[in-house]
Amino acid sequence: MTWCSPPALRQAIVLRTAMLSLMAWSAFARPAFAERPAPDVAAGRAEYVRSCARCHGVEGAGDGIDAKRFYPRPRDFRLGIYKFRSTASGTAPTDEDLFRTVTHGLPGSNMPDWPHLDESIRWHLVEYLKSLAPIFQEAPAEPMAVAADPGKPHADLAKGRALYEKLGCAACHGPTGRANGSSAGGLVDDWGMPIRPANLAQGWNYRGGSDAESVMRRFLSGIDGAGMPSYAGTISPEDAWHLAYYVVSLQEPPRWNRIARATRVRGELPKAIDHPAWHQAERTDVRLRSVVTTAGEWAKAPTVTQVAFQVLYDEETLAIKLAWDDPTENTQGPADALAVVFKPAGLAGDVVTLQAWPHEGSSALDLWHWSAATKRAGETLSPNFDVITAGGQAAGIERSSAARYADGRWQVVLQRPLASPDLEGGAVLNPDELPTLAFAIWDGSHASERAVSPWIDVALRPLKPVQHAQE
Amino acid sequence: MNTQRVASIALMAIVTGIGCGGGRAQDAAARTEDAEQQAANVQLAETPETPVKAIRPAAASAATGGASLQGIVHWSGTAPTREKISMDADPVCQQQHAQAAYKEDVIVNNATLGNVLVYLKEGVSGSYSAPSTPVVLNQAGCMYKPHVAGIRVNQPLQIVNSDSTLHNINAKPTANRPFNVAQPVQGMKTDKTFTKPEVMVKFKCNVHPWMNAYLGVLEHPFFAVTGEDGSFTIAGVPDGTYVLEAWHEVYGAKTQNVTVSGGRVSPVEFTFSAQ
Ligand code: HEC
Ligand code: HEC
Repeated sequence: MTWCSPPALRQAIVLRTAMLSLMAWSAFARPAFAERPAPDVAAGRAEYVRSCARCHGVEGAGDGIDAKRFYPRPRDFRLGIYKFRSTASGTAPTDEDLFRTVTHGLPGSNMPDWPHLDESIRWHLVEYLKSLAPIFQEAPAEPMAVAADPGKPHADLAKGRALYEKLGCAACHGPTGRANGSSAGGLVDDWGMPIRPANLAQGWNYRGGSDAESVMRRFLSGIDGAGMPSYAGTISPEDAWHLAYYVVSLQEPPRWNRIARATRVRGELPKAIDHPAWHQAERTDVRLRSVVTTAGEWAKAPTVTQVAFQVLYDEETLAIKLAWDDPTENTQGPADALAVVFKPAGLAGDVVTLQAWPHEGSSALDLWHWSAATKRAGETLSPNFDVITAGGQAAGIERSSAARYADGRWQVVLQRPLASPDLEGGAVLNPDELPTLAFAIWDGSHASERAVSPWIDVALRPLKPVQHAQE
Repeated sequence: MNTQRVASIALMAIVTGIGCGGGRAQDAAARTEDAEQQAANVQLAETPETPVKAIRPAAASAATGGASLQGIVHWSGTAPTREKISMDADPVCQQQHAQAAYKEDVIVNNATLGNVLVYLKEGVSGSYSAPSTPVVLNQAGCMYKPHVAGIRVNQPLQIVNSDSTLHNINAKPTANRPFNVAQPVQGMKTDKTFTKPEVMVKFKCNVHPWMNAYLGVLEHPFFAVTGEDGSFTIAGVPDGTYVLEAWHEVYGAKTQNVTVSGGRVSPVEFTFSAQ
């Protein structure tokens, strides 16, 4: 608005203020909310019972029938403690904060997004949520003031990094954000449940938004209930942007390819982790879900949530490199471990996912496994994962492997023959088909849990356009 | 950061009217707000190790009329052993403890129980304006000092980080507004107040899960925290009949009636046990 001379600006502010007082509900005037309907708690309640109660409970106590399965657990709305706010620590969120959560959901958690609900219904839901906790009877909290965004090109990442260290983010989030800080393991949320700091490399897993402004709001406001404190007053408004952009720079954009493409290698197939051949290989990221093996208990905080893999091959052999974040290196007792699982030919669709496997009478699967206890890999057919959880005494045939743990991340390279003449009934990988595999990963410090991926196809030959269309 | 200054501020707060654990006089001066008296107290408390003993009886009787309500909290049964704290997670914390650090939740000495907040729960009439001197909650050696204390409604609470490591202060009141703020830098101070009475407000540090403290927020000056010898003194209690409560973080609360008449009151005893 270049025409805005100071008096005009002042006039605009006066006008805005007048508008504000007209719109009794709103903390700040935004045209998008001009349509906001008159509060209707009953309509909100009706939609709540329909859409939200199964997780958040009929009375909002966070105890719906599905609640136990989820980490983090669904919010108990009666307490008035909200994580994703633009307001000071210990205060209520603004209506807009709630509207944003309902609309966009909380990515990386089980809280779905609800953009398909009418905007007016979403506002009614906000009113209903507010009727559940006394904190909303107080004067509405204002969003915390922030400085103007300098824009990414002007962000000083070196300064941001220094602030990250100075402010002690690393105590929880780890030196490079991989959720492996010295205090990460002992965190308990305000509801008494163990909680993990976010892995800052996984932007997709930020619930409140992975952009710089959202990140800044998180550390200025704190994440109430989660134990992450507010840093308001400990950092200047300008520096807050440098820190926020630094955190954004830690994010490693994921490549959720639907089909993983392998690269054919001429010359030696790499056995080592740092072999330059890996630079030519496409990386595919896969999200992992935790399977809690003790029934009836609250879901625990998962530690392994994503795996990246690359595949190289020649006429005879397949090499795979995997990388996953695990905040602790466990090489004894229950140790960190991995299984690459081949989907048996003829097993249609997703009938059996690793989430449901093993089950009663489940067929044997080909497990290509590696354990941090033995630092060795093997391959065997098994109807369950016992060979791995029992310490992975290189069951079956031995396979070559290399592994490294550094700063909260495992990197493992495995090799196996395409056809496996040495393993009776083992998977035969035909380059003209799309072999299908999945991953199961164990964090030794969470022995009762395993993280598993869905099935994913690997294209060994360059994909023909026809195949794309079928996809 | 000047730790000495923090220490002396902390000392001043101890002396001038807060319950910081240690059988000391509570803010008897609250109603009179006698600045000179406060200054005198600060000087009395010159030896940091024993500030409490030095001031206890004098401050209580000098500042106010009313009775000095004295008592002791007994422990019955085998003395529980104090639990060692492992500070492995943060070398900055570990380095500050040449000897092992112990939890401060259960302090039993000679069959007495320390760190018990004793306060008049019912029967206090009249209103008492809050002192402007802050209660200091210091984080030193990755422990809260004091571990149990009383504070007045609207009395400033100054939270100080004397450690060169990140602390966060996660206060979880229910009647008052909760907060969770970071103090990443040594010497940082944060000021807060509680506007409603509440026994107790729990404080914890998420970075160092062994750290916690309890603050009782009261509308009047009639409270004390038992010291390592289980004793307490509440000064200047006016004539009346009261319910006196003794609150302990592990063993719960006990109450009894006390009557002050003609400025006199008999000594009070509480007994806690593991059951
Ligand atoms: C499938 C389960 C599920 C359903 C259905 C669900 N939620 Fe949630 N919701 C969650 C979980 C889990 C969380 C906690 C996420 C976290 O802590 O990161 C949550 C958190 C929230 C929060 C708290 C955000 C904050 O800042 O702390 C709000 C608000 C919310 N949900 C509103 C709703 C509304 C409104 C509906 C219905 C339209 C709904 N939810 C339906 C699972 C669900
Ligand atoms: C006391 C431990 C602790 C400290 C210190 C801490 N965090 Fe966090 N942080 C957490 C926890 C726990 C979560 C996850 C919250 C959840 O899952 O609900 C989190 C989540 C986050 C997220 C993700 C938010 C989202 O939208 O999901 C960001 C970004 C973040 N922290 C940034 C920071 C920065 C920057 C600092 C330092 C200025 C910092 N944190 C300091 C514990 C901490």
